[in-house]
Amino acid sequence: MIHNRAAFRLTGSCAVLLALAAILGTGVNFFRPAVTHLSWVGDWDEHIETRAFKAGVPVVFLIEARDRVNTQSSILFDARPIEQYLAGHLPGARPMPLDAVDERLSTYASLLSMDTPIWVYCSGEDCGDSLDLVLQLRTYGFTDLALYPGGFSEWKEYGGEIHMGDTP
Amino acid sequence: MNRVRPLFFWLARLAVAGLFLGACIAKIQDPAAFALSVQRYRIVPGEWINWIAIVLPWIECSTGLAVLAGTARWRAAGAALITGMLVVFTIAISLNLMRGIEVSCGCFSTRADASVSDVWNLVRNVSLIWLSLALFLEAFRADAARVSSTATS
Repeated sequence: MIHNRAAFRLTGSCAVLLALAAILGTGVNFFRPAVTHLSWVGDWDEHIETRAFKAGVPVVFLIEARDRVNTQSSILFDARPIEQYLAGHLPGARPMPLDAVDERLSTYASLLSMDTPIWVYCSGEDCGDSLDLVLQLRTYGFTDLALYPGGFSEWKEYGGEIHMGDTP
Repeated sequence: MNRVRPLFFWLARLAVAGLFLGACIAKIQDPAAFALSVQRYRIVPGEWINWIAIVLPWIECSTGLAVLAGTARWRAAGAALITGMLVVFTIAISLNLMRGIEVSCGCFSTRADASVSDVWNLVRNVSLIWLSLALFLEAFRADAARVSSTATS
Protein backbone atom coordinates (compact mmCIF):
# COMPACT_ATOMS: atom_id res chain seq x y z
CA MET A 1 0.00 0.00 0.00
CA ILE A 2 2.77 2.39 1.02
CA HIS A 3 4.78 1.44 -2.08
CA ASN A 4 1.70 1.96 -4.25
CA ARG A 5 1.34 5.47 -2.89
CA ALA A 6 5.04 6.16 -3.43
CA ALA A 7 4.79 4.78 -6.98
CA PHE A 8 1.78 7.02 -7.61
CA ARG A 9 3.74 10.05 -6.36
CA LEU A 10 6.69 9.00 -8.53
CA THR A 11 4.51 8.77 -11.65
CA GLY A 12 3.08 12.21 -10.95
CA SER A 13 6.54 13.72 -10.44
CA CYS A 14 7.81 12.15 -13.68
CA ALA A 15 4.81 13.61 -15.53
CA VAL A 16 5.53 17.05 -14.06
CA LEU A 17 9.20 16.89 -15.13
CA LEU A 18 8.24 15.82 -18.65
CA ALA A 19 5.58 18.52 -18.92
CA LEU A 20 8.04 21.13 -17.66
CA ALA A 21 10.59 20.04 -20.27
CA ALA A 22 7.98 20.16 -23.04
CA ILE A 23 6.89 23.66 -22.03
CA LEU A 24 10.48 24.93 -21.77
CA GLY A 25 11.53 23.29 -25.04
CA THR A 26 8.62 24.58 -27.10
CA GLY A 27 8.73 27.99 -25.38
CA VAL A 28 12.43 28.49 -26.00
CA ASN A 29 12.12 27.31 -29.59
CA PHE A 30 9.16 29.62 -30.16
CA PHE A 31 11.12 32.68 -29.02
CA ARG A 32 14.42 31.72 -30.66
CA PRO A 33 15.82 34.07 -33.30
CA ALA A 34 15.17 32.82 -36.83
CA VAL A 35 18.81 31.71 -37.25
CA THR A 36 18.59 29.01 -34.58
CA HIS A 37 14.83 28.34 -34.66
CA LEU A 38 14.00 24.75 -35.56
CA SER A 39 10.83 24.12 -37.55
CA TRP A 40 8.32 22.04 -35.57
CA VAL A 41 8.20 19.31 -38.19
CA GLY A 42 11.24 18.75 -40.38
CA ASP A 43 11.17 17.35 -43.89
CA TRP A 44 13.65 14.60 -43.02
CA ASP A 45 12.31 12.12 -45.57
CA GLU A 46 13.71 14.39 -48.30
CA HIS A 47 17.02 14.96 -46.50
CA ILE A 48 20.02 13.86 -48.54
CA GLU A 49 21.18 11.34 -45.90
CA THR A 50 17.72 9.74 -45.70
CA ARG A 51 17.56 9.50 -49.49
CA ALA A 52 21.06 7.98 -49.59
CA PHE A 53 20.11 5.48 -46.88
CA LYS A 54 16.99 4.45 -48.78
CA ALA A 55 19.02 4.11 -52.00
CA GLY A 56 21.65 1.99 -50.23
CA VAL A 57 24.42 4.54 -50.79
CA PRO A 58 27.13 4.54 -48.07
CA VAL A 59 27.62 7.88 -46.37
CA VAL A 60 30.96 9.41 -45.37
CA PHE A 61 31.06 11.81 -42.39
CA LEU A 62 33.61 14.52 -41.68
CA ILE A 63 36.19 12.43 -39.80
CA GLU A 64 36.29 9.78 -42.54
CA ALA A 65 36.29 12.52 -45.18
CA ARG A 66 39.46 13.94 -43.59
CA ASP A 67 41.06 10.48 -43.63
CA ARG A 68 40.15 9.98 -47.27
CA VAL A 69 41.54 13.39 -48.25
CA ASN A 70 44.74 12.80 -46.27
CA THR A 71 45.37 9.33 -47.68
CA GLN A 72 44.06 10.07 -51.21
CA SER A 73 42.85 6.47 -51.13
CA SER A 74 39.85 7.05 -53.38
CA ILE A 75 38.75 9.26 -56.24
CA LEU A 76 36.83 12.34 -55.12
CA PHE A 77 34.36 14.04 -57.43
CA ASP A 78 32.90 17.53 -56.96
CA ALA A 79 29.34 17.56 -58.34
CA ARG A 80 28.92 21.34 -58.18
CA PRO A 81 28.95 23.56 -61.26
CA ILE A 82 32.48 24.13 -62.60
CA GLU A 83 32.55 27.82 -61.53
CA GLN A 84 32.04 26.80 -57.91
CA TYR A 85 34.73 24.13 -58.23
CA LEU A 86 37.22 26.67 -59.57
CA ALA A 87 36.41 29.07 -56.71
CA GLY A 88 37.41 26.44 -54.15
CA HIS A 89 37.22 22.69 -53.63
CA LEU A 90 38.39 19.86 -51.37
CA PRO A 91 42.03 18.77 -51.89
CA GLY A 92 42.23 16.05 -54.53
CA ALA A 93 38.70 16.65 -55.83
CA ARG A 94 38.05 16.48 -59.55
CA PRO A 95 35.17 18.38 -61.17
CA MET A 96 32.22 16.26 -62.25
CA PRO A 97 29.26 18.61 -62.82
CA LEU A 98 26.02 16.79 -63.51
CA ASP A 99 25.67 18.31 -66.99
CA ALA A 100 29.05 16.98 -68.16
CA VAL A 101 29.37 13.53 -66.60
CA ASP A 102 30.01 11.56 -69.81
CA GLU A 103 32.62 14.03 -71.01
CA ARG A 104 34.40 14.07 -67.65
CA LEU A 105 34.34 10.28 -67.29
CA SER A 106 36.17 9.92 -70.58
CA THR A 107 38.75 12.47 -69.34
CA TYR A 108 39.38 10.40 -66.20
CA ALA A 109 39.09 7.01 -67.92
CA SER A 110 42.72 6.11 -67.14
CA LEU A 111 42.06 6.62 -63.39
CA LEU A 112 38.87 4.63 -63.20
CA SER A 113 37.77 1.04 -63.22
CA MET A 114 34.35 -0.24 -62.20
CA ASP A 115 35.57 -1.07 -58.68
CA THR A 116 37.59 2.10 -58.07
CA PRO A 117 36.51 3.65 -54.74
CA ILE A 118 34.72 6.89 -55.57
CA TRP A 119 33.15 9.44 -53.23
CA VAL A 120 31.21 12.52 -54.15
CA TYR A 121 30.20 15.82 -52.59
CA CYS A 122 28.41 19.01 -53.56
CA SER A 123 27.75 22.24 -51.67
CA GLY A 124 26.24 20.71 -48.49
CA GLU A 125 23.27 19.12 -46.77
CA ASP A 126 20.75 21.06 -48.87
CA CYS A 127 22.28 19.98 -52.17
CA GLY A 128 21.16 16.83 -53.98
CA ASP A 129 23.57 16.90 -56.93
CA SER A 130 26.10 14.65 -55.20
CA LEU A 131 23.52 11.91 -54.61
CA ASP A 132 22.21 12.29 -58.15
CA LEU A 133 25.77 11.87 -59.43
CA VAL A 134 26.34 8.77 -57.28
CA LEU A 135 23.12 7.22 -58.60
CA GLN A 136 24.12 8.05 -62.17
CA LEU A 137 27.57 6.51 -61.70
CA ARG A 138 25.90 3.43 -60.25
CA THR A 139 23.86 3.00 -63.45
CA TYR A 140 27.17 3.09 -65.39
CA GLY A 141 28.36 0.10 -63.37
CA PHE A 142 30.61 1.69 -60.73
CA THR A 143 30.33 -0.40 -57.59
CA ASP A 144 32.33 1.30 -54.82
CA LEU A 145 30.49 4.59 -54.38
CA ALA A 146 30.01 6.81 -51.34
CA LEU A 147 28.47 10.16 -50.57
CA TYR A 148 29.85 12.97 -48.42
CA PRO A 149 26.63 14.84 -47.54
CA GLY A 150 28.31 17.54 -45.42
CA GLY A 151 29.93 18.72 -48.63
CA PHE A 152 31.96 21.83 -49.26
CA SER A 153 30.16 23.98 -46.66
CA GLU A 154 30.87 21.58 -43.77
CA TRP A 155 34.47 21.03 -44.93
CA LYS A 156 35.08 24.77 -44.98
CA GLU A 157 33.21 25.43 -41.69
CA TYR A 158 35.46 22.96 -39.86
CA GLY A 159 38.66 24.49 -41.20
CA GLY A 160 39.43 22.00 -43.98
CA GLU A 161 42.10 22.89 -46.53
CA ILE A 162 40.68 24.41 -49.72
CA HIS A 163 42.29 24.17 -53.16
CA MET A 164 41.54 26.80 -55.80
CA GLY A 165 41.49 26.70 -59.58
CA ASP A 166 41.58 23.61 -61.76
CA THR A 167 44.23 21.72 -59.76
CA PRO A 168 42.69 18.76 -57.89
CA MET B 1 30.12 1.96 6.08
CA ASN B 2 27.44 4.34 7.33
CA ARG B 3 29.62 7.30 6.34
CA VAL B 4 30.58 5.91 2.96
CA ARG B 5 27.01 5.29 1.78
CA PRO B 6 25.73 8.92 1.91
CA LEU B 7 29.01 10.11 0.38
CA PHE B 8 28.64 7.60 -2.45
CA PHE B 9 25.10 8.78 -3.21
CA TRP B 10 26.14 12.42 -3.08
CA LEU B 11 28.97 11.81 -5.53
CA ALA B 12 26.69 9.71 -7.75
CA ARG B 13 24.09 12.50 -7.80
CA LEU B 14 26.74 15.06 -8.71
CA ALA B 15 28.17 12.82 -11.45
CA VAL B 16 24.83 11.90 -13.06
CA ALA B 17 23.40 15.43 -12.77
CA GLY B 18 26.63 16.98 -14.04
CA LEU B 19 26.69 14.67 -17.06
CA PHE B 20 23.07 15.35 -18.00
CA LEU B 21 23.27 19.09 -17.42
CA GLY B 22 26.50 19.18 -19.44
CA ALA B 23 24.96 17.06 -22.18
CA CYS B 24 21.96 19.34 -22.71
CA ILE B 25 23.90 22.57 -23.30
CA ALA B 26 25.17 21.95 -26.85
CA LYS B 27 21.80 20.50 -27.88
CA ILE B 28 19.86 23.52 -26.58
CA GLN B 29 22.30 25.89 -28.28
CA ASP B 30 22.03 24.21 -31.69
CA PRO B 31 18.78 22.20 -32.04
CA ALA B 32 19.20 21.83 -35.81
CA ALA B 33 22.54 20.06 -35.37
CA PHE B 34 21.02 17.85 -32.67
CA ALA B 35 18.09 17.03 -34.97
CA LEU B 36 20.64 15.82 -37.53
CA SER B 37 22.23 13.61 -34.85
CA VAL B 38 18.80 12.13 -34.04
CA GLN B 39 18.11 11.60 -37.73
CA ARG B 40 21.34 9.63 -38.12
CA TYR B 41 20.07 6.92 -35.75
CA ARG B 42 17.33 6.18 -38.31
CA ILE B 43 15.01 4.73 -35.70
CA VAL B 44 12.34 7.40 -35.35
CA PRO B 45 9.88 8.65 -38.02
CA GLY B 46 10.94 11.87 -39.76
CA GLU B 47 7.99 13.81 -38.33
CA TRP B 48 9.16 13.17 -34.76
CA ILE B 49 12.80 14.18 -35.17
CA ASN B 50 12.45 17.94 -34.67
CA TRP B 51 10.15 17.49 -31.66
CA ILE B 52 12.68 15.16 -30.07
CA ALA B 53 15.47 17.69 -30.78
CA ILE B 54 13.39 20.48 -29.24
CA VAL B 55 12.21 18.69 -26.07
CA LEU B 56 14.79 16.00 -25.21
CA PRO B 57 17.57 18.43 -24.13
CA TRP B 58 15.12 20.04 -21.70
CA ILE B 59 14.18 16.62 -20.29
CA GLU B 60 17.91 16.08 -19.70
CA CYS B 61 18.08 19.51 -18.03
CA SER B 62 15.03 19.08 -15.79
CA THR B 63 15.95 15.52 -14.73
CA GLY B 64 19.56 16.59 -14.07
CA LEU B 65 18.30 19.32 -11.75
CA ALA B 66 15.77 16.96 -10.14
CA VAL B 67 18.53 14.52 -9.19
CA LEU B 68 20.16 17.35 -7.24
CA ALA B 69 16.91 18.21 -5.45
CA GLY B 70 16.62 17.90 -1.67
CA THR B 71 13.36 15.94 -1.66
CA ALA B 72 13.50 12.21 -2.33
CA ARG B 73 10.34 12.35 -4.44
CA TRP B 74 11.94 14.56 -7.10
CA ARG B 75 15.26 12.75 -6.92
CA ALA B 76 13.46 9.45 -7.59
CA ALA B 77 11.55 10.92 -10.53
CA GLY B 78 14.72 12.44 -12.03
CA ALA B 79 16.71 9.23 -11.60
CA ALA B 80 13.86 7.09 -13.03
CA LEU B 81 13.63 9.23 -16.17
CA ILE B 82 17.42 9.35 -16.53
CA THR B 83 17.58 5.55 -16.27
CA GLY B 84 14.89 5.26 -18.94
CA MET B 85 16.70 7.69 -21.25
CA LEU B 86 20.01 5.89 -20.78
CA VAL B 87 18.41 2.55 -21.68
CA VAL B 88 16.95 4.07 -24.87
CA PHE B 89 20.27 5.79 -25.75
CA THR B 90 22.18 2.55 -25.19
CA ILE B 91 19.85 0.59 -27.46
CA ALA B 92 20.11 3.30 -30.14
CA ILE B 93 23.93 3.37 -30.03
CA SER B 94 24.03 -0.45 -30.11
CA LEU B 95 21.83 -0.47 -33.21
CA ASN B 96 24.13 2.02 -34.95
CA LEU B 97 27.21 -0.03 -34.06
CA MET B 98 25.54 -3.25 -35.29
CA ARG B 99 24.57 -1.58 -38.57
CA GLY B 100 28.08 -0.19 -39.06
CA ILE B 101 26.94 3.45 -39.04
CA GLU B 102 30.10 5.28 -38.01
CA VAL B 103 28.76 8.48 -36.52
CA SER B 104 29.05 10.46 -33.30
CA CYS B 105 26.45 9.51 -30.68
CA GLY B 106 25.40 13.17 -30.32
CA CYS B 107 25.58 12.71 -26.55
CA PHE B 108 27.69 15.68 -25.49
CA SER B 109 28.52 17.43 -28.75
CA THR B 110 26.63 18.16 -31.93
CA ARG B 111 29.78 19.06 -33.86
CA ALA B 112 30.40 17.23 -37.13
CA ASP B 113 33.94 16.37 -36.01
CA ALA B 114 32.89 14.82 -32.67
CA SER B 115 34.44 11.41 -32.13
CA VAL B 116 32.60 8.43 -33.58
CA SER B 117 30.63 6.11 -31.25
CA ASP B 118 32.33 2.92 -30.18
CA VAL B 119 31.97 0.19 -27.60
CA TRP B 120 33.25 2.55 -24.88
CA ASN B 121 30.05 4.58 -25.24
CA LEU B 122 28.14 1.43 -24.32
CA VAL B 123 30.42 0.70 -21.35
CA ARG B 124 29.95 4.28 -20.13
CA ASN B 125 26.18 4.09 -20.57
CA VAL B 126 25.86 0.77 -18.77
CA SER B 127 27.87 2.20 -15.85
CA LEU B 128 25.59 5.24 -15.79
CA ILE B 129 22.48 3.02 -15.87
CA TRP B 130 23.78 1.17 -12.82
CA LEU B 131 24.52 4.47 -11.05
CA SER B 132 21.17 6.10 -11.87
CA LEU B 133 19.31 2.93 -10.91
CA ALA B 134 21.07 2.97 -7.53
CA LEU B 135 20.06 6.62 -7.12
CA PHE B 136 16.48 5.80 -8.03
CA LEU B 137 16.21 2.94 -5.54
CA GLU B 138 17.74 5.00 -2.74
CA ALA B 139 15.41 7.94 -3.39
CA PHE B 140 12.32 5.81 -3.94
CA ARG B 141 12.88 3.93 -0.66
CA ALA B 142 13.43 7.21 1.17
CA ASP B 143 10.22 8.61 -0.30
CA ALA B 144 8.28 5.43 0.55
CA ALA B 145 9.61 5.62 4.13
CA ARG B 146 8.45 9.26 4.31
CA VAL B 147 4.99 8.33 3.00
CA SER B 148 4.86 5.51 5.54
CA SER B 149 5.83 7.75 8.47
CA THR B 150 3.26 10.36 7.37
CA ALA B 151 0.55 7.70 7.15
CA THR B 152 1.30 6.32 10.61
CA SER B 153 1.58 9.70 12.39
